[in-house]
Amino acid sequence: MFKYFHLTKMQWQGILKWSLYGLLTLLVLLLQTVVLAKLPIWGARLTPLPALIVCVCVREGPEKGGVYAILAALLWCLSGADFGNLSVAVIPVGAILSAVLCRAVLTLRFLPTALCAFGVSLLNACVIFAFKLILPPTVPLIVNPPTVALENLWRVLLPGEILSMVFMPIHYVLVKRIGRIGVRDAL
Amino acid sequence: MKKHISAKTKWLIVVAVLLAGLVTITAAVNRGRPGESLVQTALTPFRSAASAIVRQVERYYDYVFRYESLQAENEELKRKIIIMEENVRSADSLQRENERLHQLLGLMEEHEDWVPTDAYIISWVDSSWKSAFTIGKGTKSGIQVGMVAVTEYGQVVGQVTEAGPNWATVTTVLDSTLGISATVASTGYNGVVEGALATGSQGLLRMNYLPTDSVLRNNDQVLTTGSTVYPRGLIIGYITDADFDQTGVAKYALLKPAADLDNLEQVYIITDYENQ
Repeated sequence: MFKYFHLTKMQWQGILKWSLYGLLTLLVLLLQTVVLAKLPIWGARLTPLPALIVCVCVREGPEKGGVYAILAALLWCLSGADFGNLSVAVIPVGAILSAVLCRAVLTLRFLPTALCAFGVSLLNACVIFAFKLILPPTVPLIVNPPTVALENLWRVLLPGEILSMVFMPIHYVLVKRIGRIGVRDAL
Repeated sequence: MKKHISAKTKWLIVVAVLLAGLVTITAAVNRGRPGESLVQTALTPFRSAASAIVRQVERYYDYVFRYESLQAENEELKRKIIIMEENVRSADSLQRENERLHQLLGLMEEHEDWVPTDAYIISWVDSSWKSAFTIGKGTKSGIQVGMVAVTEYGQVVGQVTEAGPNWATVTTVLDSTLGISATVASTGYNGVVEGALATGSQGLLRMNYLPTDSVLRNNDQVLTTGSTVYPRGLIIGYITDADFDQTGVAKYALLKPAADLDNLEQVYIITDYENQ
């Protein structure tokens, strides 16, 4: 019976690699929701997960990385993220375009990856922020004038996104290490 | 760059957009994202374990580094209690103020009709524009959507807005989506308390629709008036500022939440009470 489940060494390495990516995603999600969400800095909660998703997608390419990005964004959304359904579209599309951009125009080095990750993370936060402004829950618009919205934008959103990038070097190193699994055998 | 985008990549982009649309539509129809309960249920053990570790680390940190500050805080609290006791003794104290102190000192004892269920916080919503957290108990423990979360001192924390078998999401009073019918304890002015996250006053509450001639003092206590959702007499917060709203036909007050939401570990969900 086991011969039907026979996997080559490369396939095992593939499973190991994607399991480690999954584990890393889960750990970052836990870090984000259990630790960082409890400690807002200047009113901003840090979200390192979008940067990790972009990092993996850039490393693995737009196709495999794109599938990962969709699944990871969906996991984040279903774990109770605020306006997470928007992130299901914004993060994978941003990550896929980042992967294409890095491969076609830039390089797979740290700085282009970090810039793309920051761009996608900022775009995601801005889209959610914009929807929050369009769909105010119970507070009427009259008490939420545009000046307050703009103040929130530069005082909370931007610092939050910049600070979230603190985790980028760790993401990059870990993703690079995991991404190397099976590369030698493939060569 | 166009040639670098393969057909499969284009399909993935389409799938991502369609999936987001599908999640949005089904969430709107079913009042909850499809599969969210499943994912939250699966994540709960991991979150519980992670938050237990974080709690232990925090306790150790507090023990090692915050002993002196806790001692100073204790002294300050003792001083405050003495001032409060003096206030009680003073003849000009209003009856409402007296009730307020009674509630502060022994709210849970006074409300024997309450059926509280304790639960630990296992994770927080990671958005800067929403204030909510997940607790490690859910419908299996009798927790339902709409129930109220309070601290051990009877301070309002928030309301259960989602519930699964072993988890529940509590949206805190700071969130702009909650509206609580409230009254100023010392004067009896009524209004609606909402979170001020969306109004640029982070960490504060806003009591709207107060009469223009209302006289509001700093540190006046604001309590729930009682409704089908919130039991009467729960402490919401203390007035820190007041002004006319932009329409000019009503006043609003900014409140400091009574519950220390930044340092919450455990909350009590009132699963049942007698609506008086």
